[in-house]
Amino acid sequence: MSTEIKILLADDDPDFIEINRTILEAKGYDVEEAYTSSEAITKVRAGNYDLLILDLMMEEKDAGFTVAYAIREDERLKELPILMLTSAQEKTGFTFKLSKDQEWMKVDDFAAKPLRPAELVERVEKLLKKR
Amino acid sequence: MQAQDVKILIVDDDEISRIGCERILEVSDYKVDLAENGLDGLEKIKSSDYDLVVTDLMMPKMGGMEFLQEIRKVDEKIVPIVITGYATIENAVDAVKMGAYDYLAKPFTPDEFRTKVERALEKRRLLLETEQLRQERDKNMLEHSIEKSRTLTIVNCMSEGVIATNTAGQILLMNPAAVKMLRLKHHNVIGKKVTGLLSNTDLEEKISAALKKVTSCEILERFEVTTGEGRVLQPNITPIINEKGECIGTVAVLIDVTEEKKIEKMKADFLNLVSHELKAPLGAIEGYLNIILDGVTAGQPEKEKSFISKSRDRAHELLDLVNDLLDLTRAERKISAKVMSPVDVNTVLMDTFEFYKNEAKTKSINYTIDLTAALPKIRGNREELSRLFANLVSNAIKYTPAKGQVLITTESNEKQIYIAIKDTGIGMSKEDAAKVFDEFYRAGNAVAKKISGTGLGLAIAKKIVEEHNGYIEVESELEKGSTFTVILPVIIDSTKKNN
Repeated sequence: MSTEIKILLADDDPDFIEINRTILEAKGYDVEEAYTSSEAITKVRAGNYDLLILDLMMEEKDAGFTVAYAIREDERLKELPILMLTSAQEKTGFTFKLSKDQEWMKVDDFAAKPLRPAELVERVEKLLKKR
Repeated sequence: MQAQDVKILIVDDDEISRIGCERILEVSDYKVDLAENGLDGLEKIKSSDYDLVVTDLMMPKMGGMEFLQEIRKVDEKIVPIVITGYATIENAVDAVKMGAYDYLAKPFTPDEFRTKVERALEKRRLLLETEQLRQERDKNMLEHSIEKSRTLTIVNCMSEGVIATNTAGQILLMNPAAVKMLRLKHHNVIGKKVTGLLSNTDLEEKISAALKKVTSCEILERFEVTTGEGRVLQPNITPIINEKGECIGTVAVLIDVTEEKKIEKMKADFLNLVSHELKAPLGAIEGYLNIILDGVTAGQPEKEKSFISKSRDRAHELLDLVNDLLDLTRAERKISAKVMSPVDVNTVLMDTFEFYKNEAKTKSINYTIDLTAALPKIRGNREELSRLFANLVSNAIKYTPAKGQVLITTESNEKQIYIAIKDTGIGMSKEDAAKVFDEFYRAGNAVAKKISGTGLGLAIAKKIVEEHNGYIEVESELEKGSTFTVILPVIIDSTKKNN
C-alpha cells in the first residue's frame, strides 16, 4: 500500500483512535488524529487528507454531523470521502440507513463501532477507490 | 284546622252586636276576641294571629274601609267579613274591592252568620295550604340552587380545566383552571364563541368536531395541544347527549401534562446517555480484542500486552460506571424509603478522611482536616452522607497533582452547617463549573488530561445533598484548584425558646 495515503481519525475516545490507527497503519496508511469536531475541521482544512473516519458522538451527540456539513460546504473539501462510525444504534435514538439517509447525512459510508479489522480495511479501500 | 284553633276578631262599635256575634261563634268553639273600632282592631291584629276578622263598616276613629286596607298591610292571609247595617250593593262592592271576602247585612240570623264564617274559614284553609306549598317549593328551589352552587364549587376547584359549550359553540362554563391553562386575558368568556377565543386553533377545531358528533357518545381520540407558553395540554372532549340522543353541547376537560412530558424526555435523554456511556468502553474492549485476535498485531507481543492492559482499564471503567449508576439510582430513591436520623457530620468526615489517607500519602498530597468542635447535628442518612463525602474527597485527591493540598473543613451557624473540601488541583473553567453536576458531564481539562471518571460522581453528590434538603456549590479556577461546599440544614431544637 502506498504510504502517501493520509487518513484522519476523528474520535473523542483515545482507545478507538488507537485501535483504528493500529489497523490502518498495519496496512501502510498514514494516520493522523483529532479528538474534537473543531480539531477535526481545522486539521481537514489544513492537511491534505484522502479519507476522514469520523465518530458521530464526540463532545456533542451529533458532533460528527457538524464536521460532515462543514466539509461538504467547503468547495475544496466537498469531495473528501467520509466514513462515519458510531456506537449509537436503535435504542440511543439514532438509526440510519445509508441508502435513505445518505443525502442529509453527507457521508459516504456509515458503520457501527467497533468494526472488525478486515471490514474496516475493506470499507476504507472501497472509499479510496471511489475518489 | 280544629275549631278550638280558630281565632276570630270581631270589630264593631255596637256592644250588643259585638257580644251577639261572640255568643254565636263561641257555640262553635272558636276563640273570639273583640274590638270597638278599626284602630283597636288593628292593634290586636298586630299583636296576635287571627284567621278571620268580622268587621262593621261604620265605626268611629277608624272605619271599616280603612281598617280593611290596614289588615292587608299586616297579613294578607287574614280573611275579612264585612257586616253592615246599610247594606247596599255599592257598599258591598267597595268592601270587596278593599279586600273583604264576603259581606253580611244586618240583621242576620245566627245560621246565616255561621255559614258565612265557615265559608270564610274554608278560604282561610286554602290560603294557608297555598302558602305551605309555596314555602315547600321555595325550599326545594333553595336546595336545588345549593346543589348547583356546590357542583360549581367542585368544578371551580378542580385542577383540571373544564370548558362546557352549547351546540352553537358558545361557552357555558369555564373554570379558573381552564382560564389559567389557556392564559386567557379576559375572564368574562361566558356566552362567547369558542372560535378565536381560546388562542389555540387546534383545540377550537376539536371542540367543533365534537359538536358534530351528534349521533354517538364516542369520546374523541386523545390528542395533545401545546399552548403559546409551551405547556402541553391533553384535552378530553366529550359531546353532551340528551335523553333524546341529541348533542346539546360539549365538555372539554384539560389536563396539563407538561411535567410528565418533561420527565419522559429526561428519562429518554438519560437512557440515551447511559447506553452511549456503557457502549463506549465495551466497544473499545471489543476493538482491542479484534485487532489481537484477527492478527493485526501478530508478532508484536509488547503491543498486544499494552492493548490487553488498556482493555482491562476500560473494563474497570465500566465496572465503576455500573457502580455509579447503581449509586445514582439509590440516591434518587425517595427520602421516605431511607432511614433518616440525627447525624454528627464530623464523625462521618473523620471516617472518610481516614479512608483516603493512604491514597493521599501515595500522591504526597498535603492532606488535612480541620473540624469545628461543636457542629450541630443534622437529620440524614449516614450511609448516603458517607458516600457523598467519599465522592468529593476522592475527586479532590484524583484531580490534585502530586504534592498538592487537600483540606476538609466544617463551619456552622444556627441554621446550617458548611462542609468544604478544598484542593489545589487542576480546577476548571466557569463554563465547566456550571455543568459539572450534570450527569455524565466531565470538565474539558479533566478529559484532556486523561483522568478517568464516569461523570456521575458529582451528579450523585448533588442528588444526595438535595435529598438532605441542602445544596452544593463549587468555586474553581483553572490550574489553581476547586472548593466544593456542601450546605446542610441543622436540626431545629424546638425545645429552645426563640428570643
